Amino acid sequence: MIEVSGLKKTFGDVVAIENVSFNAADARVTGLLGHNGAGKSTSLRVLYGLIKPETGYAKIDGIDVSQDRITAQSKLGVLPDGHGLYTRLTAREHLQYFGRLHGLSDDRIEARSEELIRMLDMQGIADRRTEGFSQGERMKVCLARALIHDPRHVVLDEPTNGLDVMTTRKVRELITELRALGLCVLFSSHLMYEVAKLCDDIVIIAEGRVVAVGSPEEIRAAAGVDNLEDAFVLLSEQAVSV
Amino acid sequence: MNVVRAVLIKELKDGLRDRRALLSAFLFPLLAPVFIYGLMTLVIKQNTESEDLVLPVIGQAYAPALMHQFEEAGFTLEVFDGSPEAAVRDKSVELVVQVPEDYQETMANFELTRVLVIHDGSRNDTRTIVRKVRRLITNYNNELAALRLIARGVSPKIMQGVRAKNSDVASDEQRAANLLNFIPIYVLMAAFVCGLGLAIDNTAGERERRSLEPLLINPVTRTALVFGKWLAASALAGAGMIITLGLCLAAMLALPIDELGLNFTLTPGQILMLLLAILPVPMFASSLQLLLGLFAKSFKDAQSYVGILVFIPVVPTLVLQFLPVASSLWMYFVPIFGQSLMIKEILGAETIPLLAYPAAFITTFATSLLVCWLTGRLLNQERVIQS
Repeated sequence: MIEVSGLKKTFGDVVAIENVSFNAADARVTGLLGHNGAGKSTSLRVLYGLIKPETGYAKIDGIDVSQDRITAQSKLGVLPDGHGLYTRLTAREHLQYFGRLHGLSDDRIEARSEELIRMLDMQGIADRRTEGFSQGERMKVCLARALIHDPRHVVLDEPTNGLDVMTTRKVRELITELRALGLCVLFSSHLMYEVAKLCDDIVIIAEGRVVAVGSPEEIRAAAGVDNLEDAFVLLSEQAVSV
Repeated sequence: MNVVRAVLIKELKDGLRDRRALLSAFLFPLLAPVFIYGLMTLVIKQNTESEDLVLPVIGQAYAPALMHQFEEAGFTLEVFDGSPEAAVRDKSVELVVQVPEDYQETMANFELTRVLVIHDGSRNDTRTIVRKVRRLITNYNNELAALRLIARGVSPKIMQGVRAKNSDVASDEQRAANLLNFIPIYVLMAAFVCGLGLAIDNTAGERERRSLEPLLINPVTRTALVFGKWLAASALAGAGMIITLGLCLAAMLALPIDELGLNFTLTPGQILMLLLAILPVPMFASSLQLLLGLFAKSFKDAQSYVGILVFIPVVPTLVLQFLPVASSLWMYFVPIFGQSLMIKEILGAETIPLLAYPAAFITTFATSLLVCWLTGRLLNQERVIQS
């Protein structure tokens, strides 16, 4: 269970987010939807403990991220905004490094790595250095290292951004699979159809504020339109004009 | 502790696979012996005379006795024609001795006779031969004067008044160590050069390739991350420094330094003391590099900041060159200054106050820890993620 309440964050004079609140339940997929620069990444960065909010809190299973960052982070699997790799390490070595940082034993890391490599179809690239990996291959390594410690909460910042069709499909499959395992999945996207297809709950964020929360049906009803994409555009524009 | 080890292993593995960066980092220590051997051979060559000394002379025939003195001293005389000034200036000859035509005449009249030594005072390589020629002429003058006194029934001892007697308090090792001023500079510089690539790659580089954010999401303290990175950079810097020390010492032992009338020996005890003295230097260097690497806005920025650090080891030697003070205990407390002093003193076989070792070690090590702690604090700040 992820709870976010009343978050505010400013960078200099710019208010990045204000009064952002939403929940993400276990065994459900929650989509954070917004245009580029709407405040998605800032909200998520607060959630995974990289920046501190001026007001409000983010809690993972009741643990406040600002109060006890380390415990909260150990419960999270994160695909952050920046997802650089070490070009001189192999995919497997990435998993090993992050596994060790999570305090896992080498046996546990090995077993879990095999599992993830199978899950993400990485057999062909697992023991190659990541230099020269395609966008899709890099994304798989990032996803695998985010999941190495078998977290109960998964936060993905734009997981399908810039991927080809095949890898996008793989990522969507993964998200559905994680939900089936009972995990709490929260991901951000600026693609309406993707969110509509995958999510149980949707949070629409615009101009740093949450403008709508609910199931796809509830969102459509709130905007008074049939099409979810129209609803998204309408709600976002309303926020801008306010 | 496990986190520190995990980071250390990863950074070393990553760093050692970067062959090109490694090669450029270790080029410095590998060039050390070449540099030292070349420089010192030149110094030795200039300070010792070659067997075959050629002396161009104008008017040899006027002063046969003086010419005989030159030949006795090992010079091969050569008749010189043309303009001596021009020849010296265009460096076709090292010097020219010109005996005046009226040599015999002035000699017979007991007048002062001037023998001209034409040379280029700006040339370092001819200084020894010019000095030797003048010394020979002075000696010849003394002999001549003594003979003249004897001819008048006066003892030449009457000429002897006061003369300076040399008593050099420096030991042969110390005088040799004076020539070794650049060894501390070189060895300490290696500590700043060899870990530099890794330290930058692992801070500014980590941010530039956007892998800092994923790293910071792990449930570990930022200080532990810094310590792992610090130890990795220190290990590489330390390896480079010890290689440099070994190669410098080997080059010194291989040099015919005794030809300068100096003595350079090295005991296993001295080597151990040297290692003990310089041990904390790579840690100090790496800690500063990490801090600057993280502080810098970009990779390029970091390179220029950290590049300036490389000149720190030159400072102590420069200061001591212009402010030649006797070493006192407080100096050992200053990082790099203390080590620079100790290297020189150990090589010069001087006695070092026993307290110097812990003093230099503790302050240098403690400063490194402090810098690492500051780096950890910096890593805790939000702005460090945004490049």
